[in-house]
Amino acid sequence: MTGRFLPRLLLTVLIATIFAAAQEPVQPRLTPRISTATRQVGIFTALEQQIVLAIQKKAPAALSSLLADDFAIEEPNADPIAGQDWVQQVTGKDYALKSLIIRNMSVADLGDAAVVKYERIQQATFQGKASSGEFFVVDLWRKDGDSWKLANRYVARVAGPLPASSRQPKPTGKE
Amino acid sequence: MKSISGKVRYALTFLFVILAANLLLAQKVREPQTNPGERMVPNGDGSAVVVPVPEEEAGPVGLAVVTGNGINYNGGPVLKSSSVPIYLIWYGNWNGTGSNTQATVTLVEHYLNSLGGTPYELINSTYGDTTGNVSGGVHVGGAIFDTGSQGTRLTNSRLTSIVTRSLSNGLPTDANGVYMVLTSSNVSEQGFCTSFCGFHTHQTINSTDIKWGFVGNPDRCPSGCEIQTTGPNSPSANVGGADGLINVLTHEQEEAISDPDLNAWFDSSGQENADKCNFNFGTTSTCAAGSLCTAAGNTARAKFNQTFGTNDWMIQQNWENAAGGKCVQHK
Repeated sequence: MTGRFLPRLLLTVLIATIFAAAQEPVQPRLTPRISTATRQVGIFTALEQQIVLAIQKKAPAALSSLLADDFAIEEPNADPIAGQDWVQQVTGKDYALKSLIIRNMSVADLGDAAVVKYERIQQATFQGKASSGEFFVVDLWRKDGDSWKLANRYVARVAGPLPASSRQPKPTGKE
Repeated sequence: MKSISGKVRYALTFLFVILAANLLLAQKVREPQTNPGERMVPNGDGSAVVVPVPEEEAGPVGLAVVTGNGINYNGGPVLKSSSVPIYLIWYGNWNGTGSNTQATVTLVEHYLNSLGGTPYELINSTYGDTTGNVSGGVHVGGAIFDTGSQGTRLTNSRLTSIVTRSLSNGLPTDANGVYMVLTSSNVSEQGFCTSFCGFHTHQTINSTDIKWGFVGNPDRCPSGCEIQTTGPNSPSANVGGADGLINVLTHEQEEAISDPDLNAWFDSSGQENADKCNFNFGTTSTCAAGSLCTAAGNTARAKFNQTFGTNDWMIQQNWENAAGGKCVQHK
């Protein structure tokens, strides 16, 4: 009896272990919904679109006008890039921004400052190599009179370069 | 020896079947990819839904479907009752101060019961499906109070629980109505005030396709969800929650009627009719002595752009699906 029981027990434990290890945590299914964006989401979506347009049109003056004097962009495991260096880089001939989608924006309005978080999906090349992917971006905007200036940008890649053949979803305008 | 070999073979076969079943069960659902003839529709939660791309500029495609006005028909139904019932679920403390009061409850219900059939609401009647058009009629189908069954920090699943609970506590289960959860300003909801002011959705509850939405009291974040801090119906200065809530509620009911299952009317960038005119109020008037505004509204010289039901209102324009399409105040 013991001779049969032990192998069966081991087999059961083995199967149960493999089965348990293979599962991912079950996420509750989110209900699809369509939201009414806040006024700030509308304002900062428009500002982010101005930045994208300035980059695509290779317009360093227009891009600089949206940035604070001490603007810097920071990424994990890299030195911060100062504002004018970044402007030269992204409006230079080596960089080409083909498309950019902003989605799931949220804005924390702090009065004279605003923290803007969003997901960015971009297709771009730098020196001929793909610089595409999905990024999580946190922008710190500061009030400057009646306008807003981008003071800091923190960027983290959340997904690698997309295959050249992959299709981008169209922008929705309220993401 | 032959007997042992048979047992091993049996055990290996058994193991193979279990592992194969395990492998199949453990697969994730593949992320949707767009193919030619399809487009992505946002769902507000970071993922997207793939739907067929409609033919733009195609002209009439069905009995009551007119296209070519900057917004597309995507095949789904609209709500066509002669008067669509709006069921209100007042969540939180509506016996409090500021705009969290019974005066707001009364005002919102009066507003909805006055809205049906107005030239403004008839803008929505330019939308239809293959069997008919939206009527432009709405009324309060019922109302219920939930003083906080799910606490003051709401999530998607808790909102679903609030709607489900309301069906058990007196509201009818109605696939042709719209349920709106209206929260007092002490209640938070994931994304409310930072990302959105309200939303609408649909979900199977009690085996019925229930269309429901959420609108929070915008006095929680006036700069995000109110166009003015003192409105035409404010009881006192800087208490604009009722007018702000009415504006967002108007937006959501328009969309919930013209795109109840999120597969009827939206444009190529995913915007529904009211989205295309979000916080766009058109021509406005100023509250002053002799207007229907409250004393606080007159003092603050609050703006309004509609008058019906013995009140002045400040509500966003809606996208008219006619004459090329544009934001308008009246049909």
